[in-house]
Amino acid sequence: MGNLKSGNLFILLVENLIWVLVLVAVVIFSMMSDNFLSMYNLVNIFVRVAALGLLVIGQSFTLITGNFDLSSESTMGLTAMVGGLLIAAASTGGLDWKVNPLIAIAVMLVLGCLIGLINGILITRLMMNNLIVTVAMLLILRGVTYVISPGQSTSFFPELFNFLGSGFVYRIPLANGRYLPIPAAAIFLVLMFIVGHVVARYRRFGRNMYAVGSNRAAAEAAGIDSQRVILAAYIVSGLFAALAGLLEAGRMDSATPRMGAGMIFSVQAAAVIGGISLFGGRGTMIGAFGGVLLWGILDTGLNILQVSPFWVEVSRGLLLLFAVFLDATKARYLQRVAIRSALIGNPIGL
Amino acid sequence: MNETKTSTATKPILEMLGIGKVFPGVQALEAVDLTVMAGEIHGLLGKNGAGKSTLMAALMGILPVDAGSITIDGDTFTSMNPRDALGAGVAYVPQRINMMNPLTVAENVLAGMMPVNTVGFVAWGEVYGEAEQRLKQLGLVLDVRARVEGLSVADQTMLAIAKALFSNAKLIILDEPTATLPRPGVDRLFDFVRSLKTHGVAFIYISHHLEEVFEICDRVTVLRNGRLVETRDVQDLDTPTLIRLMVGEDVKEFEREQAGAVHGDEVMVVSNLVRRGHYEEISFTLHRGEVLGLAGLEGSGAASLAKGLFGLERRGQGAVQVAGRAYTADTPDEAFAQGVAYLPQDRYLYGIVGARPVRENVTYPILKRLVRGLGLINRSEERILVQNYVDQLGIVTPSQEQAVSLLSGGNQQKVVFAKLATTTPHVLILHEPTQGVDVHAKVDIYRIVSELAAQGVGILIISSEVRELLGVCDSILVMYRGRITACFPSGAPASTPESILLAIEGGTVHVGQ
Repeated sequence: MGNLKSGNLFILLVENLIWVLVLVAVVIFSMMSDNFLSMYNLVNIFVRVAALGLLVIGQSFTLITGNFDLSSESTMGLTAMVGGLLIAAASTGGLDWKVNPLIAIAVMLVLGCLIGLINGILITRLMMNNLIVTVAMLLILRGVTYVISPGQSTSFFPELFNFLGSGFVYRIPLANGRYLPIPAAAIFLVLMFIVGHVVARYRRFGRNMYAVGSNRAAAEAAGIDSQRVILAAYIVSGLFAALAGLLEAGRMDSATPRMGAGMIFSVQAAAVIGGISLFGGRGTMIGAFGGVLLWGILDTGLNILQVSPFWVEVSRGLLLLFAVFLDATKARYLQRVAIRSALIGNPIGL
Repeated sequence: MNETKTSTATKPILEMLGIGKVFPGVQALEAVDLTVMAGEIHGLLGKNGAGKSTLMAALMGILPVDAGSITIDGDTFTSMNPRDALGAGVAYVPQRINMMNPLTVAENVLAGMMPVNTVGFVAWGEVYGEAEQRLKQLGLVLDVRARVEGLSVADQTMLAIAKALFSNAKLIILDEPTATLPRPGVDRLFDFVRSLKTHGVAFIYISHHLEEVFEICDRVTVLRNGRLVETRDVQDLDTPTLIRLMVGEDVKEFEREQAGAVHGDEVMVVSNLVRRGHYEEISFTLHRGEVLGLAGLEGSGAASLAKGLFGLERRGQGAVQVAGRAYTADTPDEAFAQGVAYLPQDRYLYGIVGARPVRENVTYPILKRLVRGLGLINRSEERILVQNYVDQLGIVTPSQEQAVSLLSGGNQQKVVFAKLATTTPHVLILHEPTQGVDVHAKVDIYRIVSELAAQGVGILIISSEVRELLGVCDSILVMYRGRITACFPSGAPASTPESILLAIEGGTVHVGQ
């Protein structure tokens, strides 16, 4: 019994390790730079990681069911480009259709869901390997983005379209008579993580997601339609990728054909260091949010310290390795516990 | 030791003396001796849970023993690891052969020692030639260019034995080698084993098919409840005696009070269910409050029938009625909805989602009912419901939030019971419900079964534990080779463990013939 308790403690520590890391990072950077702890900078961190965070939410959904969605960065790029083409003038790279921004946003979101649906159908109904399917989609969607753009950026979007990325919802009056504007992107990011958390934890779909990711055979024997659950996770991932595209296009006031390219590694790293297991069935949205914050803090902190971007790249790689190391350590530990209880509980039958 | 002559037995290749092994709460093995001679085929018999697998795990060095010594060909070990066992010449051939299936026979035979030519490439001509020659020396003619996955199960088994011999095995453990073999395959395998025996190779033969034990074994050792019952020459034995040695005279572990009582309406009627290759012409009726046993060896079709009825496997042709309505479920979800629940045999694989808490495991099938506004699950209602089952079934857990994998086997099984009970089934199908749980939990589980029956649930138990079936069931059906071949009403004079075991074996002889 004492053994089990210390085991639970270990799990508890590992599962909340992300917040320890966030705290350590904040303390270190604020000691090294006076600017780091300024309100302006803290808010800025949220805006910088907003698109990444949305991708992480979607990725967490598929990862919890035990599946990767490596195509989400391309989904983000494609949906942003489609939105840009629909609303921008011909002189700034658009189709000159000047579609109502709300309709353009709706088209983007539907497109994101559709891409998720295709991923999901290929993976569940046709039983194709999830890694390869989504890598193929990563290439295809990026290619399509170049084809339709063709190779050009679109920019100068209506204010309504840009609101999510660069609008402000509230201005906090400060003591010195100035204002601290609260960006819509930061609010939206936090809101979406709350929604993701509620769905994962308090809805049937979320509950089933964890069951399928932990033990698919047992989930099916308990009456859960695992194919439907995985399909739904991919649709959610597509939807969040489209939201990320919308937010990023609004933040930059433009959509480039390369938007999102290479982000998938940061997405995986942030999710995994936040406790979302690559083996499926483990991790929470709150932890993933911590992972996103840590990523943003390192990014901004190293930037403020004027560390060479080459070293930033190295630090990101190290963080990714560390995240996977933690995940594997946890998996090894759980496997040991499982084998032990299997032997104790089932002395007969090898 | 009661040394007996066998034609080829000269010296002992294996002597296990006073082997003891304790698992928490269970004395798995106590002072067990096993001696196997060179060139002997030695049967190892006992019911499920008698300690055969534990003893073999000790011999293979997988499981450290608490007491006793193991002497293999003159080398004595008090503690052994798998490498020691392999080095000493012990090889294990499982029922489901596990080789490099997509590769050829030759590659499997020569794995790790493939001949290469002067520039380091594999010399395929030599590979095939040498593999063929090596197999021929053992009297085994196989197409060395064939992929292993394309071979028959008998051929795969013989190849696995041959491979073991190439790595200098002297003692080969055959674990239920014939469970899925057709008769001609059995004959070929036995011929091969007998020919190796004349070369001095020793075998430990584990099987539930007693007729085969008489056919191939020289001596048998019978275990019961982790203890050695006897080691005897096969010539001095007949089937009824052997069954009596296996079953023993011990008392029933559990006796259901209501057994034999009058039952309610028909709750499940199966008529003429056929799934080719699995079962044929299955017809039976289950009443409310009735506990029906279904006994059969592996491959008898009982397991497929259970999974088919729950929609985990295809069910085949034929009519099934549940609670007066045509039963059409093709998936577990539909089965729950139509009033059928199933407790799987392999708890770790199909019964529990080990990483998730008790609370979630209990409510998976009925989560729909707990969903309130905005599609959110009503947690407090869920907790009350789960607590109810935790109290009723006596699930010992620190809290509802404990991961199920950290509970004991018996408590895990109770969690599965709670999960099934939430669906308020008309029919509950239990597949080896007491496997891997300790004695106390066994009694608890049968108490739960009795209570559910008293509430009017029709219960079908698939089990190989005949004594337990007799204690809890109203009657016991026996399946043999895909058909229901006998029915033993509980309490009838003919319903003895011996006669039921004989029927399970496919025997027509009755005890005391």
